[in-house]
Amino acid sequence: MTRYLASRFAGMVIVMLLVATLVFLITRHAPGDPAAVMLGEQATAADIAQLRASYGLDKPLPVQFAYWLGELARGNLGQSIFLQRPVTQALAERAEPTFFLTMFAMAIAMVIGIPCGIAAAVWRNSWIDQTFSGFAMLGASIPSFWLGLILMQMFAVSLGWFPVAGYGDPGVPLSNRLHHLVLPAIVLGVVNSALILRFSRASMLDVLGEDYIRTARAKGVSERRVVLHHALRNALIPVVTVLGLTFALLIGGAIVTETVFGLPGIGNLVVSAVLRRDYPVIQGALLVIAGMYVLINFLIDLLYLAIDPRVKY
Amino acid sequence: MSRTATEHSPPHTPRLSIVVRLLSALIAALVAGADFGTSAIAAPPKGGAANIAMIGEPQTLDPMSSTADLVGTIMQHVYELLYTYDANSNVVPMLAESMPTVSQDGLVYTIALRKGVKFHNGKEMTSADVVASLQRWMEMAPRGKAVAKEVKSLEAKGPNTIVITLNRPYAPLVAHLALSNGFAAIMAKDSIASPLTQFVGTGPYMFKERKPDQYVQLVRFDAYSARSEPASGYGGKREALFDELRFLPVPNANTRVEGSLSGQYHFADVLPVESYARLESAPNVKPVLTAPFGFPYLVLNTKQGPLANVALRQAVQASLNNADMLGAGFGDAKFYSPDANHYAKNTPFYSTAGTENYGKGDAKRATAMATAAKYDGTPIKILTSQQYDFHYRIALVMAENLKAAGFKVDMQVVDWSTLIQRRNDPALWDIYITHSAVLPEPTLTPPQLGDGAPGWWSSPAKDAALAAFNAEADPKKRAALWGNVQAVVFSEVPYIRVGNFNSVTARAAKLDGYVAMPWPFFWNTGLQK
Repeated sequence: MTRYLASRFAGMVIVMLLVATLVFLITRHAPGDPAAVMLGEQATAADIAQLRASYGLDKPLPVQFAYWLGELARGNLGQSIFLQRPVTQALAERAEPTFFLTMFAMAIAMVIGIPCGIAAAVWRNSWIDQTFSGFAMLGASIPSFWLGLILMQMFAVSLGWFPVAGYGDPGVPLSNRLHHLVLPAIVLGVVNSALILRFSRASMLDVLGEDYIRTARAKGVSERRVVLHHALRNALIPVVTVLGLTFALLIGGAIVTETVFGLPGIGNLVVSAVLRRDYPVIQGALLVIAGMYVLINFLIDLLYLAIDPRVKY
Repeated sequence: MSRTATEHSPPHTPRLSIVVRLLSALIAALVAGADFGTSAIAAPPKGGAANIAMIGEPQTLDPMSSTADLVGTIMQHVYELLYTYDANSNVVPMLAESMPTVSQDGLVYTIALRKGVKFHNGKEMTSADVVASLQRWMEMAPRGKAVAKEVKSLEAKGPNTIVITLNRPYAPLVAHLALSNGFAAIMAKDSIASPLTQFVGTGPYMFKERKPDQYVQLVRFDAYSARSEPASGYGGKREALFDELRFLPVPNANTRVEGSLSGQYHFADVLPVESYARLESAPNVKPVLTAPFGFPYLVLNTKQGPLANVALRQAVQASLNNADMLGAGFGDAKFYSPDANHYAKNTPFYSTAGTENYGKGDAKRATAMATAAKYDGTPIKILTSQQYDFHYRIALVMAENLKAAGFKVDMQVVDWSTLIQRRNDPALWDIYITHSAVLPEPTLTPPQLGDGAPGWWSSPAKDAALAAFNAEADPKKRAALWGNVQAVVFSEVPYIRVGNFNSVTARAAKLDGYVAMPWPFFWNTGLQK
């Protein structure tokens, strides 16, 4: 186990170094210039060059890269060009809406996806299966921005139950801020439930076809107990993998949904940073998101130990 | 509402039941919490707060360092200028006591300052603050640097007067000092730094907090020193009726529309023209048409490539059907006007000089002109972006017009950030598309009328026409002289002004006192009860 953990940890460090290099190269080789965006339409080339120099963007790329790696080693992700604050602070400020949105969306996706997937498997080829599978197809096919706008029109504009966008007025309590997350969470929950539903169904079908399930039924165990006690636990392993990946995806920022609903989350931050070519923010945010992926994958592997006693490292 | 959540609770395993119950309770609480949000908007404290949906996050809050509209629109509430514009585009005093006294030779401007004007830090404005602010503007602001070339000296004369001495007569000086874009904001001297960390001005609102991608919050400045003249445009008496202004970045245009219709936003900036009918039919919202708001223009590369040849630029101009381009860009004729003259008939700079060359899509004539100019078939590189959808749609029509006249076209669609970088390299483009607000003084925009802007237009005719225009202080004579500049633009085609377009914004029906101006402002506005 110790050897496994050590090797996984070493692998994670290598992956992060590769990610850091790739992120730096891609962002710096993309066309565009933060100084030109910042100064506006009337700025001359000389103004732009002067601002570039003030941020050290005129230095050779290897020098900039070495400086950035050195700062990373000290835990400093850099300073945002536009936001005039450290990237870590900018990320921390956006962590709250993204975290709560992820939790809500995951909860909705799980509540829809897992029970429906199980039901579709248990009553395979019945109308229940057809209905849930159809829902899954629909959920996977609907563009999240479209669903967002439809829900916005229905529940925010027509019914007035929820705010259209944003994350609450200055100084409002947490309950009000969370109220702003309900519609986007439903959008993300519905869209992501499709994959979970499909995986739950497929996994459950596999397990229900196993010999030990047939044995349990032959012994006269009730169908409810067979499904919930004997089949579900084993069927959950691939589902947990999907849940973990979905979680990682969402925590990295639900870019489209956050943009449509004007949520100041990590996805919105990344989009804005890309449009403005705010290099430190792009690099820092992508590095943190990649780190989350690596970490969550690692935790999922550890979770297998708890779910399935047969798994040994 | 909580019942709905319970009814929809799906079947679950015993292990999941706690999670499901917790979730049900949480969702129920959130739905019930709807009252918090609406009540906060429906029953604001005295004076209330205005939620203003802007097109994005401001690039900076330093009003000098960027000419982006967003920055000026927000910070004009915090900082004021020596002069400003009234509703008829006349320059009127703001922090200056009156219009400047100009020496006979047009070189010395003496500006008396208003007395008793308080900064947000409680200190009184003096000439030392004004000199320090203008010096910073001339050192770092793109517009200020252009003015600095004309300025010999800037000095205080006593506590309430400043004197600007010019190298040569430069009539647009006061217009520059009055423009709230990349502007000569008057700041408290002890707050001046680069970058700015404190935003201490004299405006009716004070800066309180900025949460990037969430809001910029301004609050009323109770000790504001208002002018006594009646309000007109940006000029005259200003009064902060709202307790608080919140500028919210809402980059998605549809979200700004829906937010206006739902009542969440009291004002929404730059909306799609397609939304006009919906806004018009909603009882709680009023669409606002600012006409004209701006003009799309095509910059031609006069330095390098095929269009360095002025005869080919003229052929390009002849090939374009400006009315068709505007139609593609803005749809309904309510939202644009194919005006050849750069300034409207009722404004001081109206002139028809050169307008016979305004493009009507004469492919036959353009082909003949291109042949005479020995066009060799080199593709015309058009640089455009989809950040502003009308840019892209105009580019599509332009490409077809050019092809009809026998030009080869290389359309390059990039994001806006890439475009504004690439346009600085003359090897990468022949025509790029952008737009500008209509500004009251002709030389304020587009930047191609100055030196060094992309396009790199430089010619004796330009220099002569602009020198005469800039040196003339008499408004009546300036109008005729502007006609000469306009004629040179049509003749040398450094840029093509496609026409004018109108902007659609939306305000809540209960927002009182709002006056439509290119850069929306919210002093003298409040919410009806």
